[in-house]
Amino acid sequence: MFTQTNRVRRRLVTGGALLTATALALAGCGRSEDSGAAAPESTTSVGSGPATGDLTVWAMGTEGENLPQLTKAFEQANPGTKVTVTPIPWDAAHNKFTTAITAQSLPDAAMVGTTWMGEFAGLDALDPTPNGFDTAGFFPGALDTTKVGGVGYGVPWYVETRVVYYRKDLAAKAGITTPPTDWDGLKAMAKAMQDKAGAKYGINLQPGGQGSWQTVMPFAWSAGASITSDDDKQFTLDSPEMQEGLKYYQSFFTEKVAGTDLPPNQTEAQFVSGQVPMFISGPWMAGSIAKLGGDKMKANIGVFELPKNKTSTSFVGGSNFVVFKASKNKDSAWKLVQWLSEAKTQTEWYKLSTDLPAVQSAWQDPSIASDPLLPVFGKQLETAKAPPAIVNWEQVATAFDAEVEKMAKAGQSPADTAKAIQTKATSIGTGS
Amino acid sequence: MSTATLQEKSARVRPPGRPSARGRRPLDRQTLAAWILALPFVLLFLAFSAGPVIGSLGMSFTDIKQRDLRTPFAVNGVGIENYVKALSDETFRRAALNTAYFVVVGVPLTLVAALGAAVLLDRGVKKFQSLFKVAYYLPVVTSIVAIAVIWRFVLSPDAGLLNTVLGWVGIDGPNWLASKTWAMPSLIAMAVWRNFGSAMIIFLAGLQGIPQSVEEAGQLDGAGSWQRFRYLILPLLRPTVLFTSVVTGIGYLQFFEEPFVMTQGGPLNSTVSVSMYTYQQFGFGNYGLATAMSYLLFVVIAVVTFIQFRLLREK
Repeated sequence: MFTQTNRVRRRLVTGGALLTATALALAGCGRSEDSGAAAPESTTSVGSGPATGDLTVWAMGTEGENLPQLTKAFEQANPGTKVTVTPIPWDAAHNKFTTAITAQSLPDAAMVGTTWMGEFAGLDALDPTPNGFDTAGFFPGALDTTKVGGVGYGVPWYVETRVVYYRKDLAAKAGITTPPTDWDGLKAMAKAMQDKAGAKYGINLQPGGQGSWQTVMPFAWSAGASITSDDDKQFTLDSPEMQEGLKYYQSFFTEKVAGTDLPPNQTEAQFVSGQVPMFISGPWMAGSIAKLGGDKMKANIGVFELPKNKTSTSFVGGSNFVVFKASKNKDSAWKLVQWLSEAKTQTEWYKLSTDLPAVQSAWQDPSIASDPLLPVFGKQLETAKAPPAIVNWEQVATAFDAEVEKMAKAGQSPADTAKAIQTKATSIGTGS
Repeated sequence: MSTATLQEKSARVRPPGRPSARGRRPLDRQTLAAWILALPFVLLFLAFSAGPVIGSLGMSFTDIKQRDLRTPFAVNGVGIENYVKALSDETFRRAALNTAYFVVVGVPLTLVAALGAAVLLDRGVKKFQSLFKVAYYLPVVTSIVAIAVIWRFVLSPDAGLLNTVLGWVGIDGPNWLASKTWAMPSLIAMAVWRNFGSAMIIFLAGLQGIPQSVEEAGQLDGAGSWQRFRYLILPLLRPTVLFTSVVTGIGYLQFFEEPFVMTQGGPLNSTVSVSMYTYQQFGFGNYGLATAMSYLLFVVIAVVTFIQFRLLREK
């Protein structure tokens, strides 16, 4: 859900791109050095006075609709400031941003999908986080998503991570009283769900297709793999650790504990019906299961952290909040960002939107701490990781998904899969 | 129009070897007025059609990426590298094969369905002709997204309409869109259903343009209804067949919507099409590679259309 590829119609993209290119070619404008190759240093620092002037903000989806309620409080604390929020549908957002970056018609600040950071920073659109901006309180994995080539751009705004969901009643039937903590335990539990609790498949794992890397990488990370070298310059997807993660993932399909023939977008329904009583996903699923299965089902939803190999490392998603270089009111824009990342604001925002806070201290609020499921997500977030913020990540991820599909459905060996992902990723390049 | 200009015009249609040796004549008032009236279109055409087409051809020989859009002259020429890269790309070749499969099976099916429906409408059901015309044409004007919802229900593995019906006769239907073998035929069926209406309307017009007397003459000579159709109607329909096959062929070579909304190219790239893969590359900002792929498709469309004209033109 947070790795949107642009789905705007083909004609718009091609036509728009070609038109822009031609128009620019005709206008003959030139630009030489600022191609984003050299990492820019942050030059600004946030002033201490109240924010002033008008601010325009873009935000996607329900966040875009809810944000004005939150910014009202900011306007009250900073008299004379007016924040105008433009809601953008997720589907059109990536394209709208890249077009706006090309045309330099950007807002002052915006919510940005974590996997777009590398690309937008590569397009030289983002303003580096000012000096002295306190970022210590964020979840480290979430904070990593704001860093491109060692430079921070903006802050994490809200987060999500993936844990294992299971049906408590069926687990009891299968003779499982405490959730497993290691790889063998997870497999055994899924098998028991099939053998003793009447499930068609023990666990629902995505057999390739868009975004499946988000479920695969946590296993590889837990085995010690990494996507790139420490400096983000080389891909390291062909490591033995990566193969170990892939092998474990594939074994669920070869042992028929997970299915390749399940219709997509039926995860909740199959969970409620008991056909597939386990899956790995993010916090939003608890709500949609409760909606489908009612209060009785709600009591049967259990979650536990990803099983451990070397570590238990999940995927961290969410959205960041950035300020654009082109903004004419940067100081006030950063003040808004600073205000958005205060623990108190983050708690308010959780109550308004159910988006989980990116600031760790906000999780102590009773509204989150007393939830039956959320603390597990909070625990998982402490170690969760994000893919490196490289320009070409979306493209690498697509190649990754295609190879995972071959491995799950066509029996491609984990070694060949790792090799193919590495080869494709290398030929695509990091893009920086 | 005076006879003089008519003669001049007919002389221009078949020039005797070379154009007139008298050199350029000054523009007469009429021609000038015509150019002035045409100017808004010509300018718009140059700016928004010809310009981008030429620009994109240029782009296909460079290493342009999304980030270079602001500095289009800073890009490097790379010769035919993008074309080589496209042709040696495993997924692109797969997409080309899929597209060929779609065209080779889909176009004849569409034309046969369209012609069949047109003949039935023309001969059989005079009374409800308008109703059937609307019914057959409806999928053409319906949004593909709405169609996708219906077809997903039809093709759904468990509760789907198709598998339910197959179940009645004891056949255990496959998971159509998730099967490597059946995903493409499913999309072809959907495309034929969606598109044959427009070809049908054209066939119907062609059929109604054939004078009744032709068929009556055939009947007098003792030709049966199949013979009359095969040896009289079909040859007279040749221009219509040419037109519909060219238009349908071009449309099907640009196969995009069906896999885009139904399968996203899966499973295992079995339904990815050239247009869809090209679109994906545009999305990644690889404009050089994507425009090269577009031009490869353009060349194929040009060649296929040329062949169709050669095979089907009036002899």
